[in-house]
Amino acid sequence: MSELRPRVDAMKPRAPMPTRTADPRPPDKFPSRGRYPSYLAFGACGAFLLLSAQLLIRGVWALGDGEAAWDAYIVSFGHPVYLAYHVAAFIGLTWFALRLFRLFPATQPNRMGPMKRPADAVLVAGLYGVFFTVLAVGTLFLGGALL
Amino acid sequence: MKTLMLKLEPVIWLLFSGGMMIGGLLLPVFVLVVALGGGLGVVGGEALGYDRMLALVTHPIGSLVVLAAMALPVWGGAHHLRHLWIDFGGLGSDSLVGFLCYGTALASSIAAILAVVRLHA
Amino acid sequence: MSEKLKKTFIVTRFDPDKDEVPKTQTYEIEVEPDWKILDALNHIKDTVDPTLSHRWSCRMAVCGSCGMTVNGEPKLTCKDPLSSYGDTIEISPLANFPIVRDLVVELEGFMEKFQEVKPWIMVAKERAVEEGTTRQSPEELADFKGFSMCINCMLCYSACPVVSNEPEFLGPAALALGHRYNQDTRDEGSHVRNAVFRDEGAIFSCSFANECSEVCPKNVNPSGAIQQAKLANVIDWATSFVVKRGEDVS
Repeated sequence: MSELRPRVDAMKPRAPMPTRTADPRPPDKFPSRGRYPSYLAFGACGAFLLLSAQLLIRGVWALGDGEAAWDAYIVSFGHPVYLAYHVAAFIGLTWFALRLFRLFPATQPNRMGPMKRPADAVLVAGLYGVFFTVLAVGTLFLGGALL
Repeated sequence: MKTLMLKLEPVIWLLFSGGMMIGGLLLPVFVLVVALGGGLGVVGGEALGYDRMLALVTHPIGSLVVLAAMALPVWGGAHHLRHLWIDFGGLGSDSLVGFLCYGTALASSIAAILAVVRLHA
Repeated sequence: MSEKLKKTFIVTRFDPDKDEVPKTQTYEIEVEPDWKILDALNHIKDTVDPTLSHRWSCRMAVCGSCGMTVNGEPKLTCKDPLSSYGDTIEISPLANFPIVRDLVVELEGFMEKFQEVKPWIMVAKERAVEEGTTRQSPEELADFKGFSMCINCMLCYSACPVVSNEPEFLGPAALALGHRYNQDTRDEGSHVRNAVFRDEGAIFSCSFANECSEVCPKNVNPSGAIQQAKLANVIDWATSFVVKRGEDVS
C-alpha cells in the first residue's frame, strides 16, 4: 500500500521556478468531507454494477444448464449473505441511478438535435420518471403480475 | 498496458457510459425481483420458474435486453473501480489495476454473450 | 454605521526564505458585517500585519486573482461574504498548487497546461478581408458562450481530485476552454484538439467528480463541458478511421 499516497504535482511547472515553493496539498475536504463522500460512494457503486451483472450472467448460464441448475440458482439467493448483499445492492444501485440522472442534464449540450434543450428540472423529472416506470413495470412483468 | 488503455479509451468510455445507464435502469429490477424476490420466496415459483424464464430470455427482445443488462454494466463497474483506485492515489499501479478491471469486464462480456448464444444454439 | 463584529482568522503563512513548510498565524480583528473575505484580508494587511501576502485586483469577480481556500472550500474571496461564516475562519492558499508565499500560489504550471488545448481559433486558410466577416447565429453563440465565461481563477483545479492524483491532467478550465473552441463554428481545428483530448491526462482522465462545476464562481460548468467533449471525441475518433484529415490548421 506504500504507493497509495497522493501525487499532488500536476500544477508544478515543468522547469523549476526561481522562487522556492512549498509543496501542494490535496483538497482539505478530500476524501471524507463536503461533496467528496458522495462522489466516492458513486464510484464505489461500480462494484454493485459489476457484481450484480455477473450474478445475472450466472443466472442465464444456469438457464442453459437446465431446470435443476436454474432452481438451485434461485434457491442460492436465499442465503443470508446473498440477501444482505442484494439489499445493499438494491439501495446502492437505486441511489446510483438517481444521482446519475440528477447530474445528467449538465452533461448535455445546449441544443439536442434541432431542439433547444429543455430546462434541467424537466430533464431530471423525465429521467426519474423513466427510472421509476422501468422499476415498476419491470418488477410487475418479471414478477409475473403483467402478461 | 497503459498505452493500450489510452488507445482504447474512447471505446471503454462508450461502454462505461452505456453500462451506467443500462445498469442503473435494469439491474435494480433484477436485484429486486429475481435476487431478493426469489431468494426470499416472495415471488411465486411460477413467475421465476424455469420455463417462463427460458422463454423470456430466448425471446429476441428478451435476449437483447438481458444481454445489454449483463455485458454493459460490467464495463461501468470496471471503469468506476479503476478511477476510484486512482482517486485514492493508486495511479502508480494503474496498469495492473486497469488490466484487472477491464480484463474482468471483457471476460464477463464474453461469458454474457456465450450464455445467451448457448440458449439459442 | 453598522455594528462591528469580532472574528478570528487562521491564515496560512509561508516565507520561502525562512520556513521549511507552511504554518498558520491567527489574527483577531473587528470586521464590518457586510465585508467579504477579501476585505478582511486587506484590513489585516493594511492595519495589522503588512507582511501578509495575497493576490487580488478587481474586487468584482472578474479578474480571477483572489481565489483561496476558505474553511476547506475553494472560494473567490472578493465574492464570498463574511456573513456566511462563524466566528473563526480558516484561510489557506488554493489546494493542489505549489505555494509561493502565504496565500499566493504558483501559476506557471497552469499556464503550461492551458496552452496544450490550443485555446484560439484555428483555420485552414486565413480569410481575406474582401470576404467580409464570419457570421455566427445567436444560437451558435449560445452553444459555447457559457464555457467562455471562465476568469481563470483556478478554483476548479483546487477542488478537483483528479488534479491531486494525475500529474499529466490538463484540468477543468483548460479542457472546458478547448471544448469551447471545438464548439465555435468559426473554428476548424477540432480534430487537432480532439487528438490532444484523447492523449494522456486529458478528458478521459476526468472521472466526473463534478467538483469543478460546484465551486465555479462564474457557472462555467467545466465538468459538463468535459463530458460533452468525451462524446464528441468518441464520434471524432470513430470517423477518423473513415475520413482522412490533414493537420493543416493553425
